[in-house]
Amino acid sequence: MRWRRLLMTLVPILAIVGVLAYGFHRDPRYIPSPLIGHEAPPFTITLFDGRKLSLSDLRGKVVFVNFWSSWCLSCRAEAGELEASWQTLKDRSAVFLGIGIQDTEQDALAFVKEFGITYPTGRDPSSKIAIDYGVWGIPETFFIDPEGRITYKHVGALDPAIISAKLEEAGRRVVSDREGKGLYQSIR
Amino acid sequence: MRFSLIFIVLLNLPGSLLAKPVDLDEETRRIASELRCAVCQNLSLADSPSELAGEMRQVILERLKEGKTPDEIKAYFVSKYGEWILLAPTAQGLNLLIWVLPFVVLVGGVVAVGFLTKRWVRTKRKFPPAALDRPLLLQEKTRLDSDLQELDFDYQAGRLSEIDYADLRKTLETETAAVTRQLESSPGAEAGISRKDLATLTKESGAAAKKPYKRWQLASAGAFLLLFGVTLGVALTKSVRPRGSESGSITGDFLTGTDRGGLPTLLARGRTAFENQQWPEAIDAFKKALAIDPNQPEAHAYMGLILTQAGHADGALLAFDRALSADPNFPLALWGKGLALFHGKKDYSSARATWERLLTMVPVGEERDNLQKLIADAKRLENGGEKTSAPATAGLRDQGKRLEGTIMVPSSLQAKISPGDTLFIIVRRAHLAEGPPQAVKKIPSPHFPLKFSIGPEDAMMPGVPFDGKMEITARIDKDGNPATKSPGDLVGVYRKNPVEVGRSNIEIVIDREL
Repeated sequence: MRWRRLLMTLVPILAIVGVLAYGFHRDPRYIPSPLIGHEAPPFTITLFDGRKLSLSDLRGKVVFVNFWSSWCLSCRAEAGELEASWQTLKDRSAVFLGIGIQDTEQDALAFVKEFGITYPTGRDPSSKIAIDYGVWGIPETFFIDPEGRITYKHVGALDPAIISAKLEEAGRRVVSDREGKGLYQSIR
Repeated sequence: MRFSLIFIVLLNLPGSLLAKPVDLDEETRRIASELRCAVCQNLSLADSPSELAGEMRQVILERLKEGKTPDEIKAYFVSKYGEWILLAPTAQGLNLLIWVLPFVVLVGGVVAVGFLTKRWVRTKRKFPPAALDRPLLLQEKTRLDSDLQELDFDYQAGRLSEIDYADLRKTLETETAAVTRQLESSPGAEAGISRKDLATLTKESGAAAKKPYKRWQLASAGAFLLLFGVTLGVALTKSVRPRGSESGSITGDFLTGTDRGGLPTLLARGRTAFENQQWPEAIDAFKKALAIDPNQPEAHAYMGLILTQAGHADGALLAFDRALSADPNFPLALWGKGLALFHGKKDYSSARATWERLLTMVPVGEERDNLQKLIADAKRLENGGEKTSAPATAGLRDQGKRLEGTIMVPSSLQAKISPGDTLFIIVRRAHLAEGPPQAVKKIPSPHFPLKFSIGPEDAMMPGVPFDGKMEITARIDKDGNPATKSPGDLVGVYRKNPVEVGRSNIEIVIDREL
């Protein structure tokens, strides 16, 4: 009887403490993407050099799509690394594509100039592409395999080691079971 | 006739003309109010002032104009952001709990209240007690007697009016008479109410009054308070920090689960991830270690090794130099720096110089022999000679020099292997517990007994000859994430470790569960 009462008191207490502990332990801002392993949403973007580029044109290549903003600190932190990786990897049938969001054309262009970005980069003025990719943090990067399927998503600043490893995996059509996470900030 | 004509015309009109025109802005607002803003906490898209929410509302409006239904629009957002985006989650799967649980708790509460009330009423009804319950009758009589005395006292002290006194006294006397009658008719009545009976009763009731809480209640309250205090203390001291930026959180990384443990834990996590070729995890752990101590030589050295592996010689050299500036004789950094110079920069003389520095610290043994081979190679290439042995040609030269055999699992452990498990075969240089293993082979969904062959192509670092004495182990990893050794993982060590590379009849029995 006494044990039953003790149990009846402790079980609800432990359940509440457990729920609190679980709640405290997770990042409430983090939104897991349902897109990994699925076909990348198609889009056409006007690049800063005036050319139009469609994702469908890049079928058969590994595509690296990076959403960025000039006001985002983590984007600034990774910009140099991205360009360096592009210089190393551009001959290996991988295509880098930068998509500027929530930025004025002037600020975005200044960013491209500041970091000497040479890979194709354009602007998504109404964030339609970003919403189509479920973007919520920035920078956010999607790795797309030659069949047009998203194999990996990384929220936050990227490292050259991750870029080359994940591009190589995308080339082998290996879908990651987890998203990557670095230093990120929410978009505006 | 005319009426029927009008009726027919009305019936044939398109539904859209008959229906009340839909206010698109209102409809957009309604849908937006059911969706969660992705960049703010606990606000709907309709209420959020953020730029993204505005853009999302625009998407809703455009889709409504295209003729999409509210359900289709919500499904679109769910396909992009997952169920997270819905303010009211769908009543399916685990979500069902959220919908059902409140009602279950409500019904449970009502039942509990009913049950307790019933019990409480029943306890009250016990007075006056059943005719045969003599001790309770005695107790009741004592109570009534003392109530009567108190009443007299209050009346004499002038605290009660004449009418109230008469009224209360009459009630008490009636009750006393009833109890006395029952006492007289109960067994043992002839004994009367003894002094002993009364003394016992007074003592019992006094003890009951002094002990209002039972021991288990006090114990569980104490346990709860202790648990609560400890949780609060630990959580607060570990979690609160100065806010780094406007978007930063005062709870920092602790509550969001991005920081697990201190420096030694992070380094250990990084090493394990590195050994298992989980580069992102390893980088993550070492970066966090460096955030705690920016001069941690081991973390810098491992970062250098990872960058060497990825072909970023410049970055790697920078990392090794940072490690060496913190500890000029850090062996792992010297070894790695030599590799980066040798392979990445083809700077054989600097590579040789670095390795020679390391050589002074390596005791006589296989490690030293290997290092000497590397130095000899560097020297040859420095003089314009051809590479004849390790490191770059080590793979070719050692082709055929492998470790081969079978991995078995006894039938008692067979049941513990699930289809999603991953097998790791790990080869370390003998007597070298620290640092990265020589080679690791990853086999997803293994079937036992399993024939394996591990060789230079599985080496962790290019350029290190795959020969000499090795220790070989195998692990079946439950969660498929080799960075974490978790309970349930199965491990086996080759009984005749260390083993010379080239051996082909190695039998490893996986016989231990973590």
